[in-house]
Amino acid sequence: MKRASTISVWRGRLAGQIPLITLIVLCLVTALLTPRFLSPLNLTNILVQSSIMAVIAMGMTFVIVGGGFDLSVGSTAALAGSIAAMVMLEAGIGAGVVAGIAAGAAVGLANGLVIAFLNVNPFITTLGTMVLVRGLVFLITGGAPVSGDTGLPGAFVAFGSARLFGVHLLVWVPAVLLAVLSFVMHLTPYGRRIYATGGGREAAYLSGIPVRRVIASTYIWCGALAGVAGVMLAARLQSGQPTAGEFYELTAIAAVVLGGASLHGGEGTLVKSVIGVFIMIVLGNALNLLNVDSYWQRVAVGAVIIAAAAAERLRSRN
Amino acid sequence: MTSASATAPAARLQGISKQFGATLALNDVDFDVGFGEIHAVVGENGAGKSTLIRILSGVHRPDRGQVVVDGDARHFASPQDAIAAGIVTIPQELRLVPALSIAENIALGDLPVHRIGPLALLDRRRMDDDARAILAQLDFVPDVGRPVGDLSFAERQLVAIGRALHRQCRIFILDEPTAALEQHEIERLFAVLARVKARGTAIVYISHELDEVVAIADRCTVLRDGRVVTMSRCGAFSADDLVSAMTGRAHEAVDSAPPVAGAALLATDAAGTHPISLRARETIGLAGLLGSGTDVLLRALFGALRATAPILVRSQPRRLRGPADAIAAGIGFVPGERALGLVLNQSVRDNILLASLDRLRRGVLVDRAAGERLASELMDLLDIRPRRPELPVSALSGGNQQKVILAKWLARRVEVLLLEEPTQGIDVGAKAQIHGLIRDFIHRGGGALIASSDLAELARLCDAVLAVRYGSIVARLERADGLDEPKLRAAIGA
Repeated sequence: MKRASTISVWRGRLAGQIPLITLIVLCLVTALLTPRFLSPLNLTNILVQSSIMAVIAMGMTFVIVGGGFDLSVGSTAALAGSIAAMVMLEAGIGAGVVAGIAAGAAVGLANGLVIAFLNVNPFITTLGTMVLVRGLVFLITGGAPVSGDTGLPGAFVAFGSARLFGVHLLVWVPAVLLAVLSFVMHLTPYGRRIYATGGGREAAYLSGIPVRRVIASTYIWCGALAGVAGVMLAARLQSGQPTAGEFYELTAIAAVVLGGASLHGGEGTLVKSVIGVFIMIVLGNALNLLNVDSYWQRVAVGAVIIAAAAAERLRSRN
Repeated sequence: MTSASATAPAARLQGISKQFGATLALNDVDFDVGFGEIHAVVGENGAGKSTLIRILSGVHRPDRGQVVVDGDARHFASPQDAIAAGIVTIPQELRLVPALSIAENIALGDLPVHRIGPLALLDRRRMDDDARAILAQLDFVPDVGRPVGDLSFAERQLVAIGRALHRQCRIFILDEPTAALEQHEIERLFAVLARVKARGTAIVYISHELDEVVAIADRCTVLRDGRVVTMSRCGAFSADDLVSAMTGRAHEAVDSAPPVAGAALLATDAAGTHPISLRARETIGLAGLLGSGTDVLLRALFGALRATAPILVRSQPRRLRGPADAIAAGIGFVPGERALGLVLNQSVRDNILLASLDRLRRGVLVDRAAGERLASELMDLLDIRPRRPELPVSALSGGNQQKVILAKWLARRVEVLLLEEPTQGIDVGAKAQIHGLIRDFIHRGGGALIASSDLAELARLCDAVLAVRYGSIVARLERADGLDEPKLRAAIGA
C-alpha cells in the first residue's frame, strides 16, 4: 500500500511532464544517432521551422481548450500570406501585415459565429472553411505566387531572415506571443472563462459565463494567429504562396494533443502546446537527417498523432 | 467496553456557555470523557461541536462554566496550555512538516540530543528508535527516515497520533478523522484507536459518519443549537436515533429564532392563481412528481429558458435573457445534476470563483490573492473537505461537491438561491450540513426556493410549499397550517 501510493504520486507528477520528457528523449536519441542534429545550423533550422507552427498551435490551443476544433488554419495562413503580399505591394508593409492578420481574424470570426451561435459542429464547419478559404486564395491569386514584378518590399523579406540578439526575428514572434497570451489565458477573467467553458459548457452557462461569445472569441484568436503565421510564412518564402500551409492544421492539432490538451476541452496550456510543436518538428527533422524516405515520414507522423490521441484517452481513463 | 464511570473522568466540561456576537454557540453544556473511553460528539453544522472542542483544547475560553482536567479546574490561555495538560487535537490538517522525516516529526519540539561538551548533537539513532517503538504500538512499521510528505494521508494521520503519544498526551480530540480515508484505512484507524484506548487514553471523537460513531464510540453526545440533546451509552443508540436527535423536529429550530420575512425578492406575474413569491428570510418549496415541471419553473426564474416571461426582482419587472442577467439580479441556481453546477475537471477554487470572476478583477487581471482568500474562507465556512482548493472538484464526495456549488453563489453574494434537489444522492451527514447552510443563508437575509422530490425535506425546511402539477402551481400550503409529508403527498397527487 505504501509503495503503491508513492508510485501513484510520482506517476501523477510525471504525467504532467510527459511532453517535455518525450521531447528531451527524442532530442537525446537523435543526437546520438546523428551528430548533425546538434549543429548550430540544424538547431537554428528547427527553431525557425517551429516558430510558424508554434503561432498556429497557440491559436489552436485557445480553440481546443474552449472545447472546439479548427481545421481551417492552414488555408487561413495561405489566405493571410497572399492578402498581406498583395496589399503590401500596393500600400506598404504595415498595411499588408495588418490586412493579412485581419483576414485571418475574419475567417476566425466566421467560424466562431457559425459554431457558437448556429451550433454547427466545429469539425464540419472548419472542414468547410478549410476548403472554402483555400478556394478563395486560388481565386484572388489566380493560383500563382504573389511577389509582384520586383519582389516583396526588402524590409519585409529581411524580416524573414534577420536576427535579434543572434536569434531569428521569426522566433521572437512566438516567444513574445507565448508570454503575452499565457498571461491572457491564466491571469485574466477572460482566460479562466475559456477553461470553464471548455471544461463544462452547461455549468459555465449556468454560472453566468457568456459561453457563445467565449467560444466565438477562441476562433477569432485562432484565425488571427493563423494570419500572423501566414504573414511570417510570406516573409520567409518572400512571396504569398497560395499552396502554403497545407497540412498545417493536422500538425497543429497533433502538437496541441501531444502537449497534453484534452480534445474534450478545458485542459491544456500554451507552453505545453509549443513543446508539442517542437516534438513534431524535431521528429520530422530527425527523420530527414536519418535519410528516412519521405513516404515513410508521413507514416511515422501519422502514427505519432494516433499514439498521442491514444495516450490522451488512456490518461483520461485514469 | 471499558467503563469510565468508576474513576474520575479524564476531562469534564461543566455548564459551559459561549457566545459569539449574537450567536449563542454553546448553552450550558456538560460533557465528560473518561480514560480508556471513546466519547463521540455529533451534530449538524453550527450545532456547537467545533466550539466545544476548541474550548476543551484551549483555543476559546468559555463565557461561563469550567473545564476540569484530571480533577483540577483549569483555565487554558492557549492551546499550548491544553497540550501541557495532556490534551491534543488531531485535526483534519495534520500540521506535520512534510520535508522532515517521520521520526523528526514525532520528536519535534523534544529532539533527543547527546552532549559532547558544549555541543548538543541530534541523537538520530535514539530519535529513530523512539519513533519506531511508538509507531509499533500502532502496528505501523514504516521506514522512519522517510519524509512525511511522501506518505499517504492515512499514514500521516498515524504519525500525528504517534506524535501525540510521544508527548504523553492522555486526552485525544479527533476531528473528522475519517473524512479523507478509504474504507480499509478507516478499519486500520479504528484498530489503532482501539489500541490507543486500551492504553488508557481518553478520546473525543467528532464525526459526521454516524455509522462509524455507532461502531466505535462507547458513549455519544448529540448537540443541537448549542445544547446537549441526548447523551447515550453504546448499544443504546442507532444511526437513525442519532439523525433524529441531530435534526430534531426542524420547525422547532425555525421557531426558536422565528425569521420574519422581509422585503419581496422575487415574484412571478400574479396572473396565475398561485404566483411564486419569495421574500427575504423565507424558504419556499416547490413540490411535484417527476416530470411535473418544477425544474422548468426554476429554470425560467433563472433565465435559462428561451422566451421567459418578465419576473419581479425586488418588485421591479425584469426580463432575464440568460443566466448572466439572473446572476446580475442577485439570483443563483443550484441544478439538480451536479455536473451542471460544476466544471468537473477544474479545481475547487476555480469552481468557487466561477461566477465571481468579474468581481475579482484588478485592472485586466484576476486578483489571484483575493480569489484565493475568498475560496479558502468559503471552504472553511462551508466545511468543504478536504481543504485543498487546488484539487479537481471531481475528486470530492457528492456532498462536498454540492457545497462547492453553494460556495460559488455565496462568493457571488446572491440574495436568492434557486435549488433543485439540493440533497439528492448525498449522505445523511452532508445532507444535514446542506440544510444548515440553507438555513444560515436565510437567516442572513437571503431567500431560497427549493424544488425537491424529498417531501420530508420540504416539510422540514420550508415556510410554505407550492404544489406543482402539469407545469402549474395548484396549491399553496402554509407552515402555519402545518406542513407534513402526507399533506404534501396529497397535494401533488402522489
